[in-house]
Amino acid sequence: MNGEEPSLNVNLAGLKLANPMMTASGTCGYCFEYADLLDLSRLGAFVTKTITAKPRKGNEAYRIVETRGGMLNAIGLANVGLEVFLKEKLPQLRQLRASGPRIIVNIAGHDANEFAELATHVSAEDDIDAIELNVSCPNVAGGLDFGTNPDLLEPLVAKVRQSITPNINLIVKLSPNVGDICQTARAAINGGANILSMINTYTALTVDVYHRRPRLANGTGGLSGPAIRPLAVYLVNRVYQNVARQANVPIIAMGGIQYWQDAAEFILAGASALAVGTGLFINPATPTNISDQLVSWLSKLGYNHLEQAVGSLQMPTAATDTHSQ
Amino acid sequence: MGAIMSAMGSLPANVSTIPMRCLVGATVVFNEPICREHFRLRLGLPGRFSPTKPGQFVQLGCRPPGGGQNQEALLGQCIEWDTAIPPKLTQTELCEELALLRRPFSLAGRGDNATGTWIDVIHRVVGTGTQWLAHLAAGDRVDLIGPLGNQFELPDDKSLGLLVGGGVGLPPMFYLAQWMHQAGWDVVGFVGATTRDLLAVTCNSGQEPDPGGLPTHCIEEFSQFNFPAVVTTDDGSQGLMGRVTDGLEPLLRGLSVPRRRQAVVFVCGPQAMMQATAHLAQAYGVDCQVCLEQAMACGMGTCQSCVVKIHDQPGDIGETGDWRYKLACTDGPVFNAQDVAWA
Repeated sequence: MNGEEPSLNVNLAGLKLANPMMTASGTCGYCFEYADLLDLSRLGAFVTKTITAKPRKGNEAYRIVETRGGMLNAIGLANVGLEVFLKEKLPQLRQLRASGPRIIVNIAGHDANEFAELATHVSAEDDIDAIELNVSCPNVAGGLDFGTNPDLLEPLVAKVRQSITPNINLIVKLSPNVGDICQTARAAINGGANILSMINTYTALTVDVYHRRPRLANGTGGLSGPAIRPLAVYLVNRVYQNVARQANVPIIAMGGIQYWQDAAEFILAGASALAVGTGLFINPATPTNISDQLVSWLSKLGYNHLEQAVGSLQMPTAATDTHSQ
Repeated sequence: MGAIMSAMGSLPANVSTIPMRCLVGATVVFNEPICREHFRLRLGLPGRFSPTKPGQFVQLGCRPPGGGQNQEALLGQCIEWDTAIPPKLTQTELCEELALLRRPFSLAGRGDNATGTWIDVIHRVVGTGTQWLAHLAAGDRVDLIGPLGNQFELPDDKSLGLLVGGGVGLPPMFYLAQWMHQAGWDVVGFVGATTRDLLAVTCNSGQEPDPGGLPTHCIEEFSQFNFPAVVTTDDGSQGLMGRVTDGLEPLLRGLSVPRRRQAVVFVCGPQAMMQATAHLAQAYGVDCQVCLEQAMACGMGTCQSCVVKIHDQPGDIGETGDWRYKLACTDGPVFNAQDVAWA
């Protein structure tokens, strides 16, 4: 390596990050929960838990169960609600933002009006760089409707876009629980999303075979962790190739990232930024460890900027997307 | 320590982090079988571990540190390879059956000496993670996050501790006994198991537990501090036949009313046993602290998995109904028994 280290700076359609590493919504609390184990100031961006209009208790225990290489969760969007979030959590996020990371607030509503109202309140606050729409939570009644139906998703995103200030970035988090994720990706972009994040968890079921009942109190849950990583890499590449690249919409990728190699796979597949979720539970310092190691990887490849690696995956020319067969 | 100190740099002054949690590598000192399926694992930690108290726990990685893929990742170092030879990446999740998430273990004891700190945990082989732990030997490396959770409280106006542990609920009681010894409390231990060979304690030779349920110096974990203990087994294969509450009730009944006011019952074990113990303590007007358990992923208050139902307290805001979910990991694991909304 000659001279300077490769740059990890990321420009997500105007949202500028010092590096591509983020926390995934719902795995890092509201702000400083990991502060003594993760140097939060070194994150590219911090993504909050999903915030809803009213506080939510969430589901009964068991809310989590481990499966081979992954975990199922059915938390049920337990959160403090908008009012407490703005009053108690946002001041902490402002302190965090002053140290470097951009702030992304994840929200979910029961219907388009509630989504728009939440987004209006959140975007009225200073120091929030982006709103991420959770249109794909598999663990609440009706939570998947927007995220799986492009005809519902596009007007929802458009309504939210109209109700927020233009300088706020709008991210839509895509569900993998669809027939063709390119359709929901297009709907999100047509509605006005300028960044996509993908993927949310896979709806899944695990069974207590002696009691013949689900191991989660909710019945089904969302599968995350290394078990879904190759599935997520595939979907990121598919959306990048077919939708996002032409539309010039960057992708924030997540799904089983634990090591720098995992992050590198997503970058090559088309991701401009990366979020760590389940991996934080095992080592909260995972995002900053990966940041450090991506620099070394990029210099090995001869790149002097992360953006050069984005989507540079060399697919075999004869490769057929089995999904379209 | 450099990484930990720099991590502190992002922390505003008004956010409390005492005791400070950290991710540390540990070396196995020993991993001894106690009884069927149970092991006492002593871990040596470099330097002085953050202050800990009974009731607190650690999140133990039940796989080689760094996930078995690369220890360098854990240390934040870069992996070097020759550009002519592509790196060989081992995909642990495909070739090994190992636990992904850490597992929470209550501290069963702690000591500090010139070279560092040791901590004890007791584990029972129940699944993938604990099977891996069972094969650890002296010198092996593990990593852990801790200390986590709150602790048992020793009120100044109390002086008699009744320490009730069932099954894998015993370990925090051993650490609590160590603590109470230093604090000058009187202690009686109550040790329950389904059967003799699942009794995760060290029985003193020539000191069989009393089959009538009288406290004797039969259990080393208590007798080393000169505390007596009562053993109960469901099938009567050791000590008193019955539940741990069957051993506790005669003692509570025998206490004078003023002595009951000085007593606190501390309990950890299966939920039904904790609930029964809490009700018994309440019936005799004795305070009770319970150490609750719930399946958890992070142990640090982020994943919201380990919820327990706790009655609303004066001063609580923003909830309706008479209970709310609290987190066993950061609000607990220790709660006042009267605050728990038992199922």
